[in-house]
Amino acid sequence: MFSRRNLVTYAIALLLVLAFNFLLPRMMPGDPLMAIYGEEALVQMTPELKANLVERFALDQPMWQQFGAYFGALFRGDLGYSYYYNAPAFEVILGRLPWTLLLVGLSLVLSTLLGIVLGIESGWRRGSKTDRSMLAGLMALNGFPDFFIGMVLLLVFGVTLGIFPLAGALTPYSGLSGGALLLDVLKHLALPLAALTLAHIAGAYLLTRNTMITVVKEPYMLTARAKGLSQRVMKYRHAGRNSMLPVITRTGLWLGRVVTGALFVEIVFSYPGLGYLAYEALLARDYPIIEGVLLVVALFVLVANFLADLSYPKLDPRVSYAR
Amino acid sequence: MLRIKDLRVSYGREQVLNGIDLEVKAGECLAVIGESGAGKTTLCLSIMRLVEGTSHGHIFLNGLDLLSLPEQSMREIRWRQVSMVFQNANSALNPVHTVLDQVMEPIVEHRLASRAEAQRRALQLLANVGLSPDRSSAYPHQLSGGEQQRVLIAMALANNPGLIILDEPVSSLDAASRAEIVALLKQIARDHTFVVVTHDLSTAARLADNIATMYAGRIVELGPAAEVLSRPRHPYTRALLRAYPNMTTVKDLQGIKGKMSRPVAGCAFHPRCTQAIGVCAEKTPPLVSSQGRYLACHRGGIITLLAIRNLSKSFGSFKAVRSVSLDIDAGETLALVGQSGSGKTTLAKTIMGLLQPDEGGVYLEGKRVTSRAKDFYRKVQMVFQNPGESLSHRLSVLELVREPLDVQGIGTREERDQRAKRTLEEVELPASGGFLESYPHQLSGGEMQRVAIARALVLNPSLLIADEPTSFLDPGVQAKILKLLLNLQERRGLSMLFITHDLSLARKVSDRMAVMLSGEIIEQGPSNRVVSSPVHPYTGSLVQTASALHSESEAGETVDQPGAEARSGMTIG
Repeated sequence: MFSRRNLVTYAIALLLVLAFNFLLPRMMPGDPLMAIYGEEALVQMTPELKANLVERFALDQPMWQQFGAYFGALFRGDLGYSYYYNAPAFEVILGRLPWTLLLVGLSLVLSTLLGIVLGIESGWRRGSKTDRSMLAGLMALNGFPDFFIGMVLLLVFGVTLGIFPLAGALTPYSGLSGGALLLDVLKHLALPLAALTLAHIAGAYLLTRNTMITVVKEPYMLTARAKGLSQRVMKYRHAGRNSMLPVITRTGLWLGRVVTGALFVEIVFSYPGLGYLAYEALLARDYPIIEGVLLVVALFVLVANFLADLSYPKLDPRVSYAR
Repeated sequence: MLRIKDLRVSYGREQVLNGIDLEVKAGECLAVIGESGAGKTTLCLSIMRLVEGTSHGHIFLNGLDLLSLPEQSMREIRWRQVSMVFQNANSALNPVHTVLDQVMEPIVEHRLASRAEAQRRALQLLANVGLSPDRSSAYPHQLSGGEQQRVLIAMALANNPGLIILDEPVSSLDAASRAEIVALLKQIARDHTFVVVTHDLSTAARLADNIATMYAGRIVELGPAAEVLSRPRHPYTRALLRAYPNMTTVKDLQGIKGKMSRPVAGCAFHPRCTQAIGVCAEKTPPLVSSQGRYLACHRGGIITLLAIRNLSKSFGSFKAVRSVSLDIDAGETLALVGQSGSGKTTLAKTIMGLLQPDEGGVYLEGKRVTSRAKDFYRKVQMVFQNPGESLSHRLSVLELVREPLDVQGIGTREERDQRAKRTLEEVELPASGGFLESYPHQLSGGEMQRVAIARALVLNPSLLIADEPTSFLDPGVQAKILKLLLNLQERRGLSMLFITHDLSLARKVSDRMAVMLSGEIIEQGPSNRVVSSPVHPYTGSLVQTASALHSESEAGETVDQPGAEARSGMTIG
């Protein structure tokens, strides 16, 4: 199924991500501690604490030992200490991660599914009114950045109509539980999710529609018609199934874009995910958090690509990693 | 079961089918043959009503006119009453579903059985078509071409339809899998009605009860398979057969002149037909019944160019030719084979009017030849055995070739020179300068014979009587001259009476053979039949003594010994 060679490729990518994350603060001019912890943190630091930190990051050791120490720290889940949040960076990030996962995961699934379905419907009746209006609409939508769509949604549904809350992921201090809590979460999620989904639907749609247009001309579609199958079966089981293949491959790659999009959309909605965290950290120059978020996002994309690779042969039996 | 009436299909302005009439009875297998572009696939798809273009006419399947049905009813008929084995199995199967799923799909979707029952049936079908059970869960790309074809066949059988249409079912397969698939189809054909579309004539021969030849969107010939293949009556069918490589016919392959073009006024084949006359370019011939066959030809199929009836000739008490009857079709080579003294040359000379027959007569295009005036020699020309003797050594090459035109008084001097030069080029001789001025004695044997052929052909005759035309030539030159004659036949539709004592030579150039012994025709028939299973013992002895390349040292060896294959290969060739 999945070859060793592919695993090695992923391992190399992972190592590169780690090395980059390791080298970035150390390549900055001046004291690496300052780069790692930021100016303000350094000012407040006692000499003992400083010595402690130097030892912890092996800053007085050669580069490769520093890397070893860094690697070891990572292994222990040590991403450094956030003076702004007054907590280990790892814990801060871990606390925010679920919200981003929820937002990114759902919007990725939704935009891909909707994009595929719309693409199938559109490509099936290529040149029709439905197809042309769908194409024009989604192309236009594709032109707007996600945070802009988010702002428009916020203004219309949050500010003007007041249907959805303006910020956050939960109503603070509401003490809700069970179904009411779920509803509250969904209400807060709706607008950022819609913004992110709308912004990314066009990619999947265009790709599916394009493939669909070539697939409907394939000889096996003639076979399907000759077999007296219903429209629905021809459209989805035969044509659609083949048309979604390239979309699935691309989903892994899109994830990077969706995650970046999420960072901005979270800022617009003050949604307490990684993006908003990075934003706060950036304002506070909380370097451990920024670097931690960077690392997590990079890992995120890597894992998503890996999953897409794993699922691809299941969708397209012609793809075999057997060699 | 299936009746098609005046089916016309067009894609936009392009008319692909121009009025097809066909009938297929239940249990019968009809093969539709023809070049690609003839509209065969369109015909298949029209029956399933899957063509993109517009269709007119009627297609009755079990009495129901498919062309008038709403799409929904047609959907129910598809695969239940008529299914199809598509061309190119590889792309006709959906790459992302297992073959089992694809075979059981029509059963489930037409609600003929539950999923479990459908799966059981599909597995059974796949087993019946010879796909090993462990392959049924495979995806199409994991199967070989032959296996994919089996899957397509199993799929076509899924809903047990009365009619199965097969579009080039074996054309993408190698010879071994082809034979297997054909055997499988033959077995299935026992209780199904087939329409097989193919350009592979051997598949048609093995499967079909009837054969329809299609050309440019029309049926031009339709008849029982064995008869159509052994004695094609439409010029196009014969041309197809001549172009088809096979182990049965012995004559060299011949192409079909020109290429298919549409639209053509009149008979679509007339630009490529060698016996076309004025009316062929004006009116489209209808498909009419003619002697157990349907033919669409203004001339009633391939015409009999020359008929010899009960011809006898004696010299005193010696009967050189005894009541000989022979037919030569337009565009055909008839080899007259026999040893020297058997009366071949006498027969030829009698036909040419150089000798007067005692009895019987000669008919050219159906008319009895009574006197041989200029117009007879415009149609019938002869090439003699020894060009050194038959060419006047007082005339130059140009004069020799031009002479028949001078005699006939055709055109101006200028035009005659031009025509003579063109004919010289046609026989692959230089048509310029010194060569035109040279005299026969300055030429080689091969060149002389070519000049003799050019002289015979310059009048553009319909029949060439060639009496041992190559016996004075060495084999290399002989082969070239024979190729030349065959090419001329392909281009001009020349008929030939090829007189020779050499059976091995005759089989390479002739469609039919007549064997002559002591002034009588003792056997005649298709060349392959005469050579492979001679009826008369004399013919048998001719076959025995004909040249073959067995060497003496190998003659007594058993087949197992090395060299056996090479040897048998050579005798076949």
